[in-house]
Order: sequence, then structure tokens, then C-alpha cells
Amino acid sequence: MGSTTLRRGLRRAGILLLTLVTGALLVFLAMKAAPGDPALSALGENARPELVAAFRRDHGLDLPLWQQFWAWISGALTGDFGRSLTLAGGVPVGSLIANRLPVTAFIGLYALLLAAAISLVAGTIAALQRGKAADTALTSLAVLGVSMPDFWLGYVLVFFLALNFPIFPSYGFVSPVDSFTGALLSGFLPALAIAAPMAAVFARVLRAALLDVMHRPYVQVARSIGHSGKFVFVHTILRNALIPYVTIIGLQVRYLLGGVVVIERVFGIPGLGSLMVDGAFGRDYPVIQACALTFLVIVLMTNLAVDLLCTRLDPKARA
Amino acid sequence: MRRMLRLLAGARTLSLGLLITLVVLFGILVGPWITPFSATEMDFINVLTPPDGTHWLGTDSFGRDVLSRVLSGGQISFLISAVGVLSGAAIGTTLGMHAAWRGGNQEALLMAFCDLLFAFPSFVLALFMMVVLGFGMHNVMIAIALAYLPIFARLARNLTRTMMHEPFVQAARLMGQRPARILVFEILPNIFSTLLVQASVGIAFGIVMEAGLSFLGLGVQPPTPSLGVILADGREYFQRAPWVLTLTGVVVSVALLGLNLLGDGLRDLTDPRLRKAAGP
Amino acid sequence: MTEQSPRAALSRRALMGAGAGLASAAALGWPRGPALAAPTTLRAAISGYNVINTLDPAVAALIPEYYVIWSLYNGLLKLDAQMRPVPDLAESVTVAGDGQIEFKLRQGVKFHDGSVLTSDDVKFTLERLLDEATKSPNRSKVSAISQIDLPDAQTVRLRTSAPFAPLLTFLSNARTGTQILPRKAFMADPAGFGRKPIGTGAYRLRSWEPNQALKLSAFADYFGGAPRIPEVEIPLIAEETSGVTALLGKQVDITSTAPFADIPALEKRTDIKVMKQPGLNTRFLSLNNRKPPFDDVHFRRAVSLAINRDVLVRVVLFGEGVATPGLIPPSLTAAYDPAPKPLSTFNAARAKEELAKSKYGPGTKGTILTWGSGWWKRTAEVVLAQVNQVLGTQLNVEVTEANTVFARIRAGDYQAGTWGWLGMIDPDEYSYDLLHSEGWRNFAGYSNPKLDALLVQARQELDPAKRGTLYRQSEALWIDDMPVIPLFCSNIHNLLAGNASGFTQLPYSNFGDQFASMSLG
Repeated sequence: MGSTTLRRGLRRAGILLLTLVTGALLVFLAMKAAPGDPALSALGENARPELVAAFRRDHGLDLPLWQQFWAWISGALTGDFGRSLTLAGGVPVGSLIANRLPVTAFIGLYALLLAAAISLVAGTIAALQRGKAADTALTSLAVLGVSMPDFWLGYVLVFFLALNFPIFPSYGFVSPVDSFTGALLSGFLPALAIAAPMAAVFARVLRAALLDVMHRPYVQVARSIGHSGKFVFVHTILRNALIPYVTIIGLQVRYLLGGVVVIERVFGIPGLGSLMVDGAFGRDYPVIQACALTFLVIVLMTNLAVDLLCTRLDPKARA
Repeated sequence: MRRMLRLLAGARTLSLGLLITLVVLFGILVGPWITPFSATEMDFINVLTPPDGTHWLGTDSFGRDVLSRVLSGGQISFLISAVGVLSGAAIGTTLGMHAAWRGGNQEALLMAFCDLLFAFPSFVLALFMMVVLGFGMHNVMIAIALAYLPIFARLARNLTRTMMHEPFVQAARLMGQRPARILVFEILPNIFSTLLVQASVGIAFGIVMEAGLSFLGLGVQPPTPSLGVILADGREYFQRAPWVLTLTGVVVSVALLGLNLLGDGLRDLTDPRLRKAAGP
Repeated sequence: MTEQSPRAALSRRALMGAGAGLASAAALGWPRGPALAAPTTLRAAISGYNVINTLDPAVAALIPEYYVIWSLYNGLLKLDAQMRPVPDLAESVTVAGDGQIEFKLRQGVKFHDGSVLTSDDVKFTLERLLDEATKSPNRSKVSAISQIDLPDAQTVRLRTSAPFAPLLTFLSNARTGTQILPRKAFMADPAGFGRKPIGTGAYRLRSWEPNQALKLSAFADYFGGAPRIPEVEIPLIAEETSGVTALLGKQVDITSTAPFADIPALEKRTDIKVMKQPGLNTRFLSLNNRKPPFDDVHFRRAVSLAINRDVLVRVVLFGEGVATPGLIPPSLTAAYDPAPKPLSTFNAARAKEELAKSKYGPGTKGTILTWGSGWWKRTAEVVLAQVNQVLGTQLNVEVTEANTVFARIRAGDYQAGTWGWLGMIDPDEYSYDLLHSEGWRNFAGYSNPKLDALLVQARQELDPAKRGTLYRQSEALWIDDMPVIPLFCSNIHNLLAGNASGFTQLPYSNFGDQFASMSLG
């Protein structure tokens, strides 16, 4: 059995690596097809032919494509993504990413936790109160939640909870290293704006999964052998309903990262998303490439983590 | 009994969603022609007037009627999203059905490609595409299509695989029908409703995506009004005229609510087991 | 400013209402925002920009770079509240009859690295600016200097090849690039100096996170005495409106700009201060005179005649500025010509006449580059609507980012673009730099020998009144060719938190130079 697990693990790792390299290649080739010459945008007024040639030589832009790709991907493996062209002229992109990744990770996890907490409560209540007023209210609220554009919700939240009633900071982000409370406070509104639509989706999935499991025969059995209602709910129903719930949370990480991009910009949070948007405006190709690749890695890693978690949760898969 | 209840609930959701969607569709399709104001013509006398009897949502900083802009913008955003999602759906479905039918290496390769596309967060992929293609309305459509392609490919492939073993498909096969004919005339009609549900939810999210890109200034460019452009404008003078951003956002939310309710209702009416496959 | 206790109570209730399990966090304390636990930090936001490429004054080009440079360095002189050059690093200035200028340096001025300022550092700074290889955008400000003598460590004598009227102004700590650098520290790491600047200013750079924020700390050995506020944090906020949000939410204490649209509403508030005055700036439509359709003088004139500048001022600036017939702003009273000029005044009929003479007709396509989401973009939008309406052209807008617009305008990779200059203090900068065939900001590629001669003459005229007349003549001269289309001059604004004080606003949009005199209390 051990060797099967090992072989499966190796296979997974192989696929993951292959996906990553292909993804990197796609990003690389697409960027090469983008309009505009990086040499021109970096040199601006000084773009005399000999300087352009020198720039292209320095940045390896005169090499064959596959060599350029190899140079980029092998550098990326060691965290060297080249240097920023226009956004922060000359600063290594790797250090920009390294500075901003923790911020995005913090906001993302914060949003995920908020969404999970809200949906766990709302989804459970809705399932237990099925068909009653609470269920209808929560279900309607959930549909409304997915219907509001997150960045707009962000503005509304700032207007009410930061300016009209100054409870939360209106702008900026305190690093958790400086002050964890400050980070929680300054991250709350952005995290909530990202979490709202996700919480709605999670709650709906959890409600459906709970209702589904509640009527399964093994739940009836657990009840009939005299376990208390609470015990059955926590140990049997919730546990089984968690599998689709965790799966959907994993799937939603993609969505979450998309939301982070816009919301970071709205709230002035110095994360990966605002870096990518700035890079897009400044046509800073190395920055955009590196950001896209980083997002890809995050999603692939999350998928892997969710798979592993589901295997642990699912008794059948463990057996 | 439970099935009946669900159907009833589904019908209620569906009819509410349908009602909102129809009103919104009427508004954005007919509205721009019946409002007395142009969505783009500037009137420098009536700048930033608050909502009143003449301008129901007030005017913006160039004196343009916000309601007219929202209706025209809604039309454009809906068009962008619909064209984007539907082309993504068309290509994705074709690929997915093809993959399921051929199986083997082709299937594995196509699905691996779709999984790869799917591994980029939709908005990040769209943002990336805007850089590669350049800003502008048509490129937003392409970006949305690309984000939806893998979703539909995966869905269509899974659905086709379940259908392939149905007796009527087997029968058609035995009768020697061409694969393309079987796929289009036997299988597609049976999976169409599920794809449609996904498309209606997809269009809602496509509108959010367009709005997000244009809000950041990376999408539709002025003077073309789109919902994202109008929201971005509204943010610009939010202190002075909060109604532009606030009310436009409310209108957008209601429109999306309609589409989402419609999708939910349709989903409840179709096989509930497909909920998971369809995803959010 | 609101007291803390009611806010804390409110917060706790609302937090529990939000049901997010954060109530305990609120009970733990109330940080004010980024690194702001105590008012020992001045949070001075640069709003509207988030790119700073260098803090080396010689090569800096963007206004946000200067906002910071002004706090890190000093010039030989500085501008007082009446915009007159007064001593700063120089203790005294003597102008001899033969045109030689002698500066006596202040004793014992220290750089941030502890070294002492000598006349050699001044010589180094000026020679570096003069060196073509430095590629300083401000080279022309000192190019008249022909000889630099150092009789001793505290004395600098300058000679000019020809009289050069604005020289003393250009040696002030403004958008001039003449801030004094230490030779030794610079030579130790010439390439890295722009990122690790060393000056004599009241603050020194502590850390710099690209596109996010800079942190400064007070320089204890500052010759003017250590500043009151020990730390300055400078967040870079891309959107001006976000700057307002940050200030109203008490996340920053001062902003470098404010969105025009918000000024009336903000002026009514009692919890913040709005400082404003007519600015030293010019805003125009930059035209690529080498590329169609703006290579045709009639087309350029037609476009200029089709623009109603008063409307621009009303709907883009919300009244916070004035329409200008030329490039020299009204605040430079001696050189400004208030007389309206027919070619830069709205006249639909004449615009159509010019279009008829042009080789480009109605339906001509063209792209106006602009950026951001603020008033620059709005300027382009209104200009485009007006021009397309009057001329029937099909101009459109391409919205990108300011730095990109600048790079493309400099590289000649554009047709037209909204552009402007802010913080320039002498008429020479608004005319010689922009329109002389060798002017460094002359990206239009404009060349007019008559104008060139006139602008050189104006540079050399030491009598202010006569000099002003020459500039008025120059404006009347180039406007016929319309190499750029002047639009307006805008007011400048700073927003201050209720407890911030000590900021003296100067018309060239000063910023960092005031940190040392500010207090929070």
C-alpha cells in the first residue's frame, strides 16, 4: 500500500510540474506576442538604436526564444524573475513579489476565514431551519451576496464603516509584523468585500450538503443506536457534508485571488494584485509575467492541498 | 413530496429571476431609445445634479444623464459578457464534447490544457490578456471567453461522458450515425439545459469581470459607457455626488440578482445532482 | 477631531454586529493606521502618483520624486513665501559688477553620512549637472555657467558665459535639480546613489518600498536644528480620490494634491483643512508635430479653435483654475500675457475654416494619450468631445499610466497626449524648455529660429520688466504655429488633517521642504 501511495504522489508531482512548466511557457509566449517593445518602454527618451541594442543584449532579448524561456524559467526557480522595467526601474522583480506575497496571503486567508466562518453559521442555520423564515432570509441574502460586485461593495463598506462611522481604517494596510491587531482591523473591510460573495456560495453548498447527508441511511442508524442529536450532527452529518464544502472552498480560491486583485487596488493594499495592476498600466512585462506565474503556483498548490484534505476527510478514500 | 417542494421553490426563484431579468433586459434593450437623454452627449450646464424628476439617477460631471448611461452601459456590458461567455461556451462545449467522444490521449491532452487555463484565477487571466491584447471592448470579450472556455469544456465533457452510455446514444451508434450527428442531435439537446444554467450564471459573473476591468481602467475605454466605466467615473467625484457610484452599483446588483436567481431556479428545475458539476 | 472613547464604544458594537469574531481585537487597542501608533510620525501622502524612480536630484524628472528630494537635500538658496531666492546652504550671495556671483557657504553643515559640506561638493554637483553624460533634464538651468572657482572650502565663485537672469532662482531648492550632493558619498556608489540618497536635508531616507511607501527619519545634525517630528512616512497613493479617503479616514495627515471635484465639499468640513492657491503650472495638449495628423499646422489650429477652455475649467477643474491663452501661467505676472489670443480661443466657425485649409478633413482619426481615472482623463474626454463635435473628426482616447504616457511622449511614440508641467518657477522653463529647438521638454519637435533667438535674448535680460515683455512677445510668436495646444492653469491644493499645522504652501506645489516645520498636535 505504501508503494501505491508513493507512486500516486510521484505521479501527482509529475503532473503538477508539467502543468507549471506549460503554464510558464504559455505566459512567456503570450507576453512575447504583446504589443510594444520592452526596450522602448524602459529607455523612453534615451531609446537611441545603440542603447536599444545594448538593452536587448543585457536582458538577453537577442537570444533565440527557447533560450530566453530557459533563462527565465531557470531564474524563476531560484526566485530571480529579472528586473522591473518601468514600475520600479532596476529593482529585482523577485524582491517585489517577495514583499507583496505575504500581504496578499494575509488578506486572502483572512477573507477565506471570514467567508468560512460566516457560511458555516449561515449554512447550518439555513439547513436546520429548512423552509422556515430564517432559511428563506439567509438564502435570499446569499443570492444578494453573489450579486454585488466586490469592488463596489468595498466602496460602500468604506463609506459607511470607515468614513461615516469611523470604525475601520479607510485606506492602507498595516503589516501583521508591525501590529497584528492593526492588520486585522485594516484588513477587515477588504477581506469582508472579498468574502461576501464567497460566503454566499459556501453557505449554499453547505446547506445543500447538510440536507443531503441528513437523510442518508447511516445518519438514521447513528440516531437509532442512541447517539444524541448534537453528537450525530457534529460527528456524522457535519463531517460528511464537509467534503463538498472543502472542495468548493478550494475551487473558490481562484475566485478569491481574482477578487484580491481589484480589492487591493481599491483599498491601497500593497499586495500582488495591486502590483500586477500597476504592472499592467506600466507595461512592465517582467512584473506581469512573474505575477501571473505566482498566481498559477498558488492555485496549483491550493488544489493539491484540497485534494489531500479531502482524502483525509473521506473515510472511503482512506481505507 | 420533497421533489415537489423543491420544484415549487425552484419555480418561485425562477419566476422572480425571470421577472427581474426581463425587466432589466427590456431596460437595456429598449431603454436607451426611449430615454429623453443621450448617454454620451455632454451638457455642461447641468453638471452633477442630484436625482430628481427629470434625471432619476442625477447627472454626472459632464452633465450626462446617469440613468441613460446606466442603460446604455448595461447594454454594452451585457453584450460584452454575453458574447464573451457564449463564445467561451461554444468553443469550450465543442472541445469538451469532442474530448469525451474521442477519449484517449486527445481527451487527456485537451483536458490538461483546460485544467491549465482553469488554474489561472479568471480575473488574473483576464488582466493578463488585457496586457497582451491591449485595452478595449473587444479584448474584454476575448478575455471573458478565455476565462469561460475551460469551465464549459470540463462541464460538457463530463456531461457527454454520462450521456454516452445512455441507450438512445448507443442505439444511434449502432445505427451507424456519424459521430458529429450524434453529438449535435442526440447528446447536445440533453445537456443543453445544464449548459444554459451555467451560461446564465456565467453572464452575471462576466458582467462583474467587465465592470472590474473597466473600473480599474484596463477594460472598456471612454467615451463608450460600460457599467465599469460609469462606476469608475462615480468614484472620481464620490465625495461630491455619491449617488452616481451608489445608485449605479445598486442597479448593477439588482440586474445580477435577477440573472443569479434565474440560474438558481433553472438549476433547481434541472437535475439537482448537477449542482456540483455546474459549480458557482 | 473625534475623541477616542466614543469611537471605541461604537466600534465594539458594530464589530459584534458584523458577527466576525473581531470584537476582541477592537478591545485590544486602537492603532491609527500604518506605523502611526503615536503622532511621532507624520504621514505625508503623495497622492495621484505611485512611481518614484530615483531620488538623485540631477536625474529626477517626475514631481513625486521632487516632493521627497526637497526634504532630503538643500540648494544653495531656497524660495521664501514671496518666491524670492534667499540663502540656505549659502550664507550670503554677492553679485559683482562683472557678473561674477560669490557664495559663502554656511559653516559646519553636515551630510547625512556625517561628512562636512565644502565648496568642492557644490562644484561637483554643478559639474555633474553640466556633464552631458549625466543626462540631467535640468542641464539647461546651469548651462550658462562657464567657470566654477573655489578660493577656499567655504567659497564658491560662478562665472557665466552670458548674463543668465534666472540663475539664482535655479539654484534654489525647488524643481531645479541643483540640490547639493556629497562628492565622496556619490563617487563611492554612483549607480546606487539614486536609491540611497545622501543630502544635507532635515530628513534622511530610512527605507523605500517601490510603489508603496518611503520612510524618512529626522536628521539630528540638520543645520537648521533637528525637526519636531522624528519620523515621516510617505505612502504613494495612485488615485487622488483614495488620498481623500485616506485623509478623511485619518490614515494620513497631509496629501500632496486633492481632486478638484471634491474641493467645495471638503472646504465645508471642519475636521480638515484645505489649502489652495493659483498654481505655477501649465496644462496642455502635447502634439507630435512629426506625425499625422498633427504635422499639419492648420489641423493643429483647427483643434485648438474647437476647444472651449472655459468649459474645461468648469467641468474638469470644477472652477479650480483659469483658462490660459499661452503656456506661461498667470502667477508669473511679469511674463504672463492676459490678452486673449484668437487662436487659443473657442471659435467654431474659424476652426472649420482652418480644417478646410488642412490636408486632413472631417473623419480624421487620431488618438489622445492620457492616464489614470482623474482629471487628466477627464480633460482628454472633454477635449475629444468638443473637437469631434465641432470638426467631425474621430479622435479617441487611450488611457494608460502617467509614466507610460511620459515615456511614449519622450520617445515620440504618440500622436497627441494630455500633458503639463507643474512646479516650474521661471518663465524660461515654460518657454525655452518647451519650445526652443534645444529645449529638453520640446517633445513636439518644434523649431522656430525667430523664437529661439527671442528666448535666448529673454534669458539674458536682467531687467525683470523688459524680460517680461520679451516673453509676452514670444507667446504671441509661437501661437501661430500651435506646436502645443495650451489649455489651462490649475490651482494647487493640499489637504491637512485637523491637527496638522506648520505647512506653508508655495505656488510651485512644494511638499517635502515643509516637513521640518510641521507639527501634529
